[in-house]
Amino acid sequence: MNAAGQNGACAKARTHMDAYLSRELPEPDRRKLAGHLEACPICAADLETRTRLRAQLQAAVRSAPVPPALEGRVRRAVRDEGPPHRTGLWAIAAAAAVIACVALVSYVRQRANPENAILAKTSGPLAAVLKVGLRDHLQCAVFRKYAKRPEAANEMAADLGPGFATLAPLVKAKLPAGFFIVSAHHCTADGRHYTHFIIAAAGKLISLVLTRAKPGESMGGGIYQTGVDRFQVVGFESHGYLAYVISDLDAEQNLQLAASLAPSVREFLATHAG
Amino acid sequence: MSSKRARTEEFEKSALPHLHELYRTAARLLGDAVKAEDAVQETYLQAWKSFERFQPGTNCRAWLFKILVNTIHHHRRKWSNLRLVKDSEQVLEQATDPPPPVPEHITEGEILRALDRLPADYRTAVLLADVQEFSYKEIAGLLDVPIGTVMSRLSRARKLLRGELSALARAYGIRRAGAEGSQP
Repeated sequence: MNAAGQNGACAKARTHMDAYLSRELPEPDRRKLAGHLEACPICAADLETRTRLRAQLQAAVRSAPVPPALEGRVRRAVRDEGPPHRTGLWAIAAAAAVIACVALVSYVRQRANPENAILAKTSGPLAAVLKVGLRDHLQCAVFRKYAKRPEAANEMAADLGPGFATLAPLVKAKLPAGFFIVSAHHCTADGRHYTHFIIAAAGKLISLVLTRAKPGESMGGGIYQTGVDRFQVVGFESHGYLAYVISDLDAEQNLQLAASLAPSVREFLATHAG
Repeated sequence: MSSKRARTEEFEKSALPHLHELYRTAARLLGDAVKAEDAVQETYLQAWKSFERFQPGTNCRAWLFKILVNTIHHHRRKWSNLRLVKDSEQVLEQATDPPPPVPEHITEGEILRALDRLPADYRTAVLLADVQEFSYKEIAGLLDVPIGTVMSRLSRARKLLRGELSALARAYGIRRAGAEGSQP
């Protein structure tokens, strides 16, 4: 066979290799392919490579460990017949309805420690974790004076330092129209270190708060929401950090904002959390 | 009560043997172990809620994978915006390249990283076909796409995976073999 003929035969053989690998090639084509492979070591080597890659891929994926607790968790969820303890990220709206357990009507302002009056209204283990983020929002964004003039990008970068400076543009990119970052900085509340973005929009005040999770503090893989007084808190955990969006937006708006910010925060922490 | 318990046990007996493969698929599709756990739990809850409609003797595995794929699709629509379109265009360009050489020795980590870099549609196709060994017809049913789409996605996915791994080949100094048809 001349080179042109061989090229055509090789091209045809290659069009059949995908179906051959998937065991979907009809018998007549399979016989033709086998005949070509006997005469063409290059195509034979190509198919050998494809077959090897398929086997290696299969082995690699199948060897990945499965969390030992997962089966028990699924069994419990099924047997309870109710909503799971941790719903998927995509079911956060449902989670909001289920988990929003703290709905208190009065806001008691205390002069000395006004945030404590609100924090005292949260209860339960999950609320305790959500309270971590709420505390910083109250102390740093609500009850502390901050400059009303939005910081410039270079000021934010300087305040955040090299570890977190690149998060600011990611956050900015995910904000809806009319929302802007007023301040981005590191701060401390109740002896705990936070990375804090203060965001404003039409008279509303929003915080994106990140802090390293301490032992025993976990929200698993879910996104949780609660309402405390006039504040809405959404929290999730990612790469060793607890992340919160807290605001005086309504529950749905706050949830949507958190849903918009969470992927960027997760991606950032995946790369930068150390 | 005993009837409910029997039904639960029947569901668990049919569905739980597939948990590991569902999780591994979800982990590769979502790129996040915790999200994968949530997706699998969500899949089982959805399956349990519609178990009355499940026909005993039919393909429980394919039924669960369809629910998983839908769950993840829903998740993607909610959490990422139109990334797939751009990715698909990039893949179309790369898919026209001839098959590059691939190193003989590839670690599991290297092949998984290459897989994780594929756009979602192609990663899904290659996982369902090459790892889970569903037929083209079954995959078409799982993804609600024509069989031709399954075939083209799978072909491109394999080429792209090979392209990713060829970067390793270049790093190892392997050159492309002689051109096809050059044999006497």
